[in-house]
Amino acid sequence: MPITEKNIMNRLYLVAGVLFLFSAGIMVKLFDIQMVKGSEYKALALNKTEKMFTIEPNRGNLYSADGSLLAASVPKYEIRFDAKTVSPENFEAHMPALADSLGMLFQRPSSHYLRLFRKARANGNRYKLIARNIDYLDYVRIKSFPLFELGPYKGGFIETHKVVREYPLGKMAARSIGYERVDEKGYYTRVGLDGAFGERYLRGKEGKRLKQKIAKGQWKPVGLDNIIEPEDGKDVISTLDINIQDIAHHALLGQLEKYKADHGCVVVMETRTGEIKAISNLGRTKEGKYYEKLNYAVGESHEPGSTFKLMSLIAALEDKVVDTSTVFDTERGRYRLYDRVVNDSKWGGYGKIPLSRAFAVSSNTAFAKMIHENYKTQPEKLVNRLMNMGIHKKIGLPIIGEGEPVLRFPGDKGWSGVSLAWMSHGYEISMTPLQTLAFYNAIANDGAYVQPKLIREVREGNRVLKRFGTNITNPSICSKSTVKKAQQLLKDVVLQDYGTGHGLYSESFSMAGKTGTCQKNYVGKDPDKLAYISSFVGYFPADEPKYSCIVVIHEPDKGVGYYGADVSGPVFKSMAQKIYTSSPVIDAVSPERMENEALEDSFQKYFATIQKQHQTVPNVRGMSGMDAVALLENIGLKVEVKGNGKVTKQSVDQGTDIKTVKTITLELS
Amino acid sequence: MSGDAPKNWLFLLFASFLAALMISSSHQADKRVHEIAALNEKVRKLRSEFVEGRSKVQQLRLESSIKNTLVESGLKPSIDPPKKIKVKAEEK
Repeated sequence: MPITEKNIMNRLYLVAGVLFLFSAGIMVKLFDIQMVKGSEYKALALNKTEKMFTIEPNRGNLYSADGSLLAASVPKYEIRFDAKTVSPENFEAHMPALADSLGMLFQRPSSHYLRLFRKARANGNRYKLIARNIDYLDYVRIKSFPLFELGPYKGGFIETHKVVREYPLGKMAARSIGYERVDEKGYYTRVGLDGAFGERYLRGKEGKRLKQKIAKGQWKPVGLDNIIEPEDGKDVISTLDINIQDIAHHALLGQLEKYKADHGCVVVMETRTGEIKAISNLGRTKEGKYYEKLNYAVGESHEPGSTFKLMSLIAALEDKVVDTSTVFDTERGRYRLYDRVVNDSKWGGYGKIPLSRAFAVSSNTAFAKMIHENYKTQPEKLVNRLMNMGIHKKIGLPIIGEGEPVLRFPGDKGWSGVSLAWMSHGYEISMTPLQTLAFYNAIANDGAYVQPKLIREVREGNRVLKRFGTNITNPSICSKSTVKKAQQLLKDVVLQDYGTGHGLYSESFSMAGKTGTCQKNYVGKDPDKLAYISSFVGYFPADEPKYSCIVVIHEPDKGVGYYGADVSGPVFKSMAQKIYTSSPVIDAVSPERMENEALEDSFQKYFATIQKQHQTVPNVRGMSGMDAVALLENIGLKVEVKGNGKVTKQSVDQGTDIKTVKTITLELS
Repeated sequence: MSGDAPKNWLFLLFASFLAALMISSSHQADKRVHEIAALNEKVRKLRSEFVEGRSKVQQLRLESSIKNTLVESGLKPSIDPPKKIKVKAEEK
C-alpha cells in the first residue's frame, strides 16, 4: 500500500475505532460490576474482612452439695500433623525425639509414631491425626514437644478444640446428673439434672458481634451496632452428697452382683428438708456388668408389694376401723376370696395375731382381711383416703420422665371384687420408688409430706441467685396418733425378733422400715418367668430420723434369694451404718480443777525463771528434769542428762556467763 | 504567601493530629483484641486445670477409693463413730 495521507488516516481511524470499542467494552463491564452485580460483590468483599460472630456462652457447672464437681464444660483438643510443610532438615532432626515424647505420653512404642510420621510424609498427608480428646494439660505438653514447638508452619502442628461436658464422677449417678444434647434439627435430649436445668440456668445466652479481620488471624470487633454480649450459664448446686452417693453406689452394686439381679436403685433423702443426698440406679448388661442404665428411682412405676402395707395400715387407722391391737386370724396362711387366694410367705400362716405383729411379719392374709372386710361395702372410702394422702399424685420433679402412679377407683377398668384385698399388700397399684420413699419420709417427719428436691441453689460465681427452700406439700398426711403408731410398728420390723427386718438389727444404731417382696410377671402363671422385686424402705435413726432411704432390687436370682430383707436390706443397712459412723458422738465434759499446792508452787517458780532474760546459768537444782532441760536449751545451752527425776547436780555452777559454757551435764535422781 | 496561609497550616496540623490519633487508637484497639485473646486462652487453661485437679481430688477422696488403696495395709473404715470430747468452757 502506498503511503499516502489517506491511508495513514484510514489506519488511524481503524486503531481509534478499535480503541473506542475496547474502552466501550470496559465501560459496559464496569457498569455491570458496579451497578448490576455491585451489591453482591460488595457483600463478598466484606465477608472476607468482616464477619458476624456467634459467641458461645460457657455452660454453667453442676456441683454437689459438698462442692464437688458433677458436670463441667472443658475444652478437649485434637492434634493433627501437616507432614508437607516441615522442611527435610527439621523433619530428620526432630522426628525421633518427637516420636519418643509422644510414645512416652500415650504409652505406646515410639516406633509406632515414627512409622506413622514417615508414612504421612511419604503420602504428603497434610492433616494426619495424632491424638484426639486431649485435655488441656496434655495439649500444652504436646505443643512443647520437639518439632511441634516450631508452630504450625515450620513444625506442622495443627490443633482444633471443642468444648465437651466432663463428668468427674464417671458412671456414678450418671442418669441423675444427666446431660443435654442437641441434634441438627435443634431437638434437645434432656436427661437428669444437667438436662432439667439446662434451659433455665446452665446454658446461658449466645452473644453476637460483628468483627473485622486484623493481623495474626485475629478478629477485631467493629461498630457499636449488633452487639449482644454472651451470658455465661449459671452454676447449679444440687443436693447430692458424693460421699453418701459413693457408699450407695457401691453397696447397691455389691448386692446386685451377689444376687445377679436385673436392676436396682437406692435413694437417700434427708428427712427434714427432702434433699436427695444420693440416688443410684444400676442396670445389668448382657455380660453381667452393671451401669447407670435408666433412672429407675424416678421413672419406673411398679407394684410396690408389701411396702404398701404402711399406706393400708395408715388408712385403716385413720378411718378407725382397726387398731394396732386388733387380732386377725391368718387362717393357716391362706385367705380365699372368690376364685383367688391370698397367701402368706410363711407356709401355714401365723395363727391369730394382732395387727402390730401382722405388720412386723408382713402377713398378706391379715392385711387383705383388714382392708377387704372393712371397706368392701364402701371401697371408695379407702381410695379417697389414699388420695387424701397424695398417693395418686406425681411428686413433680424437675427431672424429665417421672413415672405415673396408678391408683384405681372403684368402677375403673380393672377394678374387681378382689381389688381391695390385693391393694392392701401392694398389688393393683403402682408407684415409683421415689414416691414410696416420699410417703415413708412423711411418717419419719411426723406426718409432714416434704417434696423431694434435687437442687439447692443457683449461683453465679460466689453469688447466690436463687435458693430452693423446703417445700412441704402437706403438713400432715394423717393424725399425730396414727403417725406415732406407724413409727412404732416400723421400728418393730427391725427391733423385734419376729420382724422381717430383724436380720438387719444392730445394737449400736437404730433403723425403722418395712421389707417388701413383690412378685412380678405373675400374669402368665409361668413359674420360669415369675420374678421378684425386693425392696426395703425406711429411715434412720428410728427416733429423730435424719435420713430416709429406699432400696429396690428387681429380679434377683431366685436361686440365691429374693426376700426384701436379704436382698435390699443390706444396702439400707450400709447406708444407715455409714451415716452413723460419720456422725461423731460428742461427749461434753466440764474440766475438773485439781488443786495441788505443791504443783502450783513449783510451776510458779519455773514460770518466773523462764520469764527472765538469762545472761548467766540459772540454778536448776531441785527442778524436774523435764523443766530444766527445756529451760537450759531455750537459753541456748547444750544439755546432757543422766538419770531420771529431779536435778541433783549441775556441772556448771549458777552464775557462770552462758557465753563461756558449751555443754552442761545434769544429774537427776 | 497570602494572608490566609497560617490559618490553613494550623488546620492541616490539626487534621494530621486527628489522623494520627485515629491510627493510634485503632492500633490500641487491635492490641486489646490480642490481649483479650490471650486472656481468654488463660481462662481456658485455668478452667481446665481446675476441673482436672478437682476431679482427681474428688476421685481420690471417695471412700471407696480410699478403701481400695488401704486394703493392702489392712486398714478399714471404723464401724463405730468417732468420739469427740468437748470440754465445756470453765466458769470463772
